[in-house]
Amino acid sequence: MAIPIPGAFTLDEWNDQTDQAEQAERAETVVEVRNLTKRFGPKLVLDNVSLAIEKGKTTVIIGPSGCGKTVLMKHFIALQRPSAGEVYFRDQRIDQLSERDLNDIRVHFGYLFQEGALFDSLSVAENIMFPIRQHQRHVTRKAMEEVVKAKLAMVGLDGFQNYFPANLSGGQRKRVALARAIALNPEVILYDEPTTGLDPIRSDIINELVLKLEQDLSVTSVVVTHDMKSAYKVGDRIIMFHNGRIIADGDADHIRSHPHPTVQQFIHGQVSEDDLAVLRMSGAVAQTQFLPRDFEK
Amino acid sequence: MAAMIATLGAKAIQDIVNSGRLGRFAWRAVTTSARSCTRRQTYPLVWAQMNIIGVRSVPVIMITGAFVGMTLAVQAYDQLAGMGLEEHLGVLINISVVKELGPVLAAVMLAGRIGGALTAELGTMNVTEQIDAIRSMGTDPIRYLVAPRLLACLLLTPVLIIYADLMGVVGGALVSFLQLGINSRAYWNFSASGVELWDVSIGVIKGFFFGGAIAMISCYKGFNCREGAHGVGQACTDAFVASFISILALDFALAVMFKSIYLTFWPIKSLV
Repeated sequence: MAIPIPGAFTLDEWNDQTDQAEQAERAETVVEVRNLTKRFGPKLVLDNVSLAIEKGKTTVIIGPSGCGKTVLMKHFIALQRPSAGEVYFRDQRIDQLSERDLNDIRVHFGYLFQEGALFDSLSVAENIMFPIRQHQRHVTRKAMEEVVKAKLAMVGLDGFQNYFPANLSGGQRKRVALARAIALNPEVILYDEPTTGLDPIRSDIINELVLKLEQDLSVTSVVVTHDMKSAYKVGDRIIMFHNGRIIADGDADHIRSHPHPTVQQFIHGQVSEDDLAVLRMSGAVAQTQFLPRDFEK
Repeated sequence: MAAMIATLGAKAIQDIVNSGRLGRFAWRAVTTSARSCTRRQTYPLVWAQMNIIGVRSVPVIMITGAFVGMTLAVQAYDQLAGMGLEEHLGVLINISVVKELGPVLAAVMLAGRIGGALTAELGTMNVTEQIDAIRSMGTDPIRYLVAPRLLACLLLTPVLIIYADLMGVVGGALVSFLQLGINSRAYWNFSASGVELWDVSIGVIKGFFFGGAIAMISCYKGFNCREGAHGVGQACTDAFVASFISILALDFALAVMFKSIYLTFWPIKSLV
């Protein structure tokens, strides 16, 4: 597929034209980062990022591997602390809170980690009961089991209560991890590459679950992914990162027709001419350095 | 030359940073553990760790203690027999076992068995984001993971040292009677007069410090290991080495301290 030629507008003008950006400014903000910068040693991962997550919508963050998407999302619940900038949850600044104070903030979030992060030594039911036990100690065992059953039913895994994570497939582990993430009926669910490593059918199951949870639980969702099919399906708003900065922000149509060549290369999955040249050159060098194997002499 | 100085300087700075990090981790672990003692929620977690750390270590600790006593008997006999003091062998074996060799070797055995397991478990949890998952669910991972392990080590290392001491005494006695032909009555009479409750107590008290050091270092290394299997493996090795050195350093420091306390209240007593 040919990459569209950038139009006459500058990128800022293009982004300013979208209704999405204007609506986001007016809509209620649940999570916000302001001038966020994050360094790991000399490496700059996030470069002066400002972003507001709108309540009740699904925001998808896309970008190449290693561009800082997951690092950004971890800032939303202060699993990472910024090198500079501020992070807000419902107008309360959270990046400078102690771990003890953050525990009260984090109960409003559910986080689906990339590999699930299920506790190996606990069964499926005990994994899902974990947040309930920590924060709702008055709940009886029977009531917790009912909640576990309901959450597993939401993700289509009722009956798996006594399984252990090692006995589950990758897709099943992700769904159990999602059931655990929603155990406390959070306001915001953060999904870290929920479809990575899954086959197309399991990926679509996860996409459907994201949409279903948005409808059934009225949650705000943030999805980090590089799966464009998933991004278009679940995203009300798509934000693209590149080199630690936001280079595109809008709905699916806006992203599809975005003039930035990096955006077009990414969404179409096409390697750039420069990268192709490097690959061809490395192949040529490899040929000259190839040593014939013994049976070829 | 400048590059070498820069490398050494960077290493020194990193070591200081790591020491500070360990200090802050230890402070959080101690204060959280103290608070956890009053929370009933912590008790099942502590019980589970006491089973893993304590109960399952009893056989290997008893074997360690037994061989320490038996080897001491064999090695020390000739020196005492040369002076006609073979019946005092029990005093030498039992004081060595209860004051030094029992606590130190039992702690080293625990550092290898328990320390490695703690570091591997927590390190694996760290690299698979399970510790982040605990934090994301509004729970303090120090309270949930470190405090039960620290409390179990603090409570059970002294008990395990008692087991090691017991088997060391029994092992030394058996070798003395059966292999070396020492009169049992004389052996026990001299032992009873030479070994005091103070000697046994300081060995047990040392266990409290050794257990705390093993748990703290192992948990810290697990929480801060690098990514991947290599990172976890390296953390296990570092945890054992650091625990081993800590045990030796603590043993020396405590020996000096306890000797000062003893000399303050009681004069030096001859063993002969």
